[in-house]
Amino acid sequence: MQECTAVRSCNLGIKTLYFSMDTTELIRIGVYGTSILLILIGLYAVLTKRSLIKIIIGLSIIDGGIHLLLIGIGYIKNGTAPIFSPGSENAVARMVDPVPQALVLTAIVIGFGVTAVALSLVIRLYRHHNTLKIDEIKNLKW
Amino acid sequence: MKKAIVIFLLAVFGFFLAVTFLDPEFEIDRNRNGVKNVYLEKTVSELGTANTVTAIVVNFRGFDTLGEVTVLFLAATALGSILFKKRHHIGDRTVLIPASSIVSAGAKLIFPAIILLGAYVFIHGHLTPGGGFQGGTIIATGFLLMLIAYRDFSISHNILSVIESFAGIGFVVFGLLGFMNGGTFLQNFMGTGVLNDLISGGVIPIIYILVGFKVAAELTGLIYTILHEKG
Amino acid sequence: MVGSPVLLIAIPLLAAFLIPLLGMVWKESVRIIPGLVLAYLTFLSASLYIEVINTDTIVEIIAGWRPPWGINLVFSPLTGFLTTIMTFMGFIVWLYSYRFKRNVEFEAAKKYFIFLMLLVAGSVGIVITGDIFNQFVFIEIVGISAYALTAFYTGRDSAEAAFKYLIMGSLSASALLIAIIIIYSQLGTLNMAQIAANIDNMNPYYRIIAMIFFIIGIGVEAEIFPLNGWAPDAYTEAPGPVGGAFSGIVAKAGIYAMVRMMFTLFDIEGPMKILIVIGLITLIVAETSALRQEKLKRMLAYSSIGQMGLVLVAFGMGTKAGVFAALFLMLNHAITKPMLFLSGSFLTFNTTEKYIKQITGMAKKMPVVSIIFVLGALAITGFPPFSGFWSKMAFLSAAADENLLFIMATILIISIFEVVYYFRVINRLFFFEYDDKISIEPHKPGFNGMIALFVLAFIVLMIGFYPSSVTGFIDLAADDLMNTHQYIDKVLQLGQTIIQ
Repeated sequence: MQECTAVRSCNLGIKTLYFSMDTTELIRIGVYGTSILLILIGLYAVLTKRSLIKIIIGLSIIDGGIHLLLIGIGYIKNGTAPIFSPGSENAVARMVDPVPQALVLTAIVIGFGVTAVALSLVIRLYRHHNTLKIDEIKNLKW
Repeated sequence: MKKAIVIFLLAVFGFFLAVTFLDPEFEIDRNRNGVKNVYLEKTVSELGTANTVTAIVVNFRGFDTLGEVTVLFLAATALGSILFKKRHHIGDRTVLIPASSIVSAGAKLIFPAIILLGAYVFIHGHLTPGGGFQGGTIIATGFLLMLIAYRDFSISHNILSVIESFAGIGFVVFGLLGFMNGGTFLQNFMGTGVLNDLISGGVIPIIYILVGFKVAAELTGLIYTILHEKG
Repeated sequence: MVGSPVLLIAIPLLAAFLIPLLGMVWKESVRIIPGLVLAYLTFLSASLYIEVINTDTIVEIIAGWRPPWGINLVFSPLTGFLTTIMTFMGFIVWLYSYRFKRNVEFEAAKKYFIFLMLLVAGSVGIVITGDIFNQFVFIEIVGISAYALTAFYTGRDSAEAAFKYLIMGSLSASALLIAIIIIYSQLGTLNMAQIAANIDNMNPYYRIIAMIFFIIGIGVEAEIFPLNGWAPDAYTEAPGPVGGAFSGIVAKAGIYAMVRMMFTLFDIEGPMKILIVIGLITLIVAETSALRQEKLKRMLAYSSIGQMGLVLVAFGMGTKAGVFAALFLMLNHAITKPMLFLSGSFLTFNTTEKYIKQITGMAKKMPVVSIIFVLGALAITGFPPFSGFWSKMAFLSAAADENLLFIMATILIISIFEVVYYFRVINRLFFFEYDDKISIEPHKPGFNGMIALFVLAFIVLMIGFYPSSVTGFIDLAADDLMNTHQYIDKVLQLGQTIIQ
């Protein structure tokens, strides 16, 4: 590390310090942080919003956050896609974990199915009550 | 008041999540010896498939995929059951606003391209990223476009149902065939061929193609059911 | 060899995909095929179970990859026990609802039977799978079938009940996914046996967080407090036999998942305070709520939730006696509760509101059904010499072994509550006069429904008078659950019996 003899060198010194945190760590914190944020936002929507559609949107946002989290844990430093092409059969060590990707595929489809059923229930509720506001629909004790 | 409680709870919850996931000890690639290594190794050697994710979805964890296909089937059936109408009017639609001229002019052009893309994606699922679910969804999007653009575009619900059922039955039958050919359920019993050929990977592309058809038929049927729901 | 465990799931799925096709050709097939499938499942499950008891646990591999690289199914004294009960009850519910909506709305009937069949198949999947993500998928299958069945009637409230169920189910599924994420990222595997073997390698803090998320994730299906808010409404709005299916099949699968997680995955030995606490709160809240109910199905729903709480307390004791009592309670509940739901459904057939006071004096008009209802009530509350008595005794003795006096006292008090609210109904049935103005029309039950009820009644009586007919099986199942090492060995070394 060079000594901080002039102003310019000092600035360089500070910048070097800042990037001494691994890019991998940055990516990790970024991805995980975003997914946690998404989960919280979605949860907030489900718990506080008064409109049925917004609640369902909240569920979708939560799903999005979780899927992002799931893919995120599969990351390997400088990893590449787990697809083999002629000549790259030996690249196993540098491949990203394929399992979370497969899990996410399933999870997305399942989330989609549940959302579809939820929307159909909303359509039926709307048919009966002509409103989407949850307060007016709450017949049964919560 | 209630919002304050919720925000407080969320903050606590978020804190726990953050402490768990953002902890430096929760490192990446911690499980160097996890199952994925075997998957990555065996995909080419034993299954002849280039796309590891496809191999996992259809073969290693094919049982999950079967369950997933069932979930889709259930969702489509549930939609039909929940939005039940006593009489079925063909041509009764809730889309009352006609599509703009751009959409109606372009839809006819784009539709074949979308179908082709979708088919490409799910036929090549074992070679390139993609597969049955992705391709099927693309195809369903094409149908959605047509349904929105043209008021009199209609598909026979029966045909969709038949495709859906046949594809589902095909999936289970291939699984049972693996069973009967001296192996276990869903085991690959066909030759694996040369890597990166279109015909390679044994049962995997076949099953994925079936899944592609099923998903396309199911999603289209789903959209159709909702569109025909009279308010 | 009649078949292998995977057929318990593959056949119902195949049938579910076939029914829409066959329904186009021959209408009656949509009612008959599920019945055949469920009968076959019961038979297959029973014969596999007998084989497992006589030889060894069956670990079946899927797709030709040995665990932990492939998914595997585990058919053991415990899982076989539960599966046989569940498939049998599925068959009974089918039998009862055979004439459902007979001449009307063919589409609706077709879908009803598909959902019912997949509800059973999914629950069986939850029990026999050896992989946590696979379990998640099956939980979702059960979930969607349940949402659709709850919303089955076109009345006003069923969509709302289903929606509530869906939201809570979705949130809990998300929590379950987070738990799976934590486990996979730390241990690199999704196989239950391998997780159990390596769980000590995991940071204890992460372990606790994962466990909490698991409990939230499975709690909705297992109907624990406070995640059971959906249950009373869902049970009330769903068709009567479906209430029986929920309580007899789905709840059992949920409890199994919870217990498998605690006992095997996290390999917790000794008393599990968290289960006891959750179970007690669930029990107390549910049973006191049951006292205040005026609708029959809602009362039965709360009673069912309470029983599940009791089962959790029994499991939470962590001893073999506790597990034995819990499994015994589960068995009795699985037979008796559906019997109550089914007979109650007949009694309240001609009303949509299903208020208890509407069946005043019904005993004179529908004597057989009323007597069966009474039998169910006596069995569940634990009157000797009926079945519930033995399971409650087992529970009390297990609690006494551990000097858990507070629990024993609570159970006795709760039993008094149960007697009160069940006898209120019986009182109305038998000792009041049938009044045209309040009571509804009696319903003449169909032949199939009566057979279903008689079979259940027979089993209840048999367990009551000859408890030793079942205690052997329960004992083996209890052993199986307690023995984590055996589970790990059997799966990872593929045991001695492998289905090829």
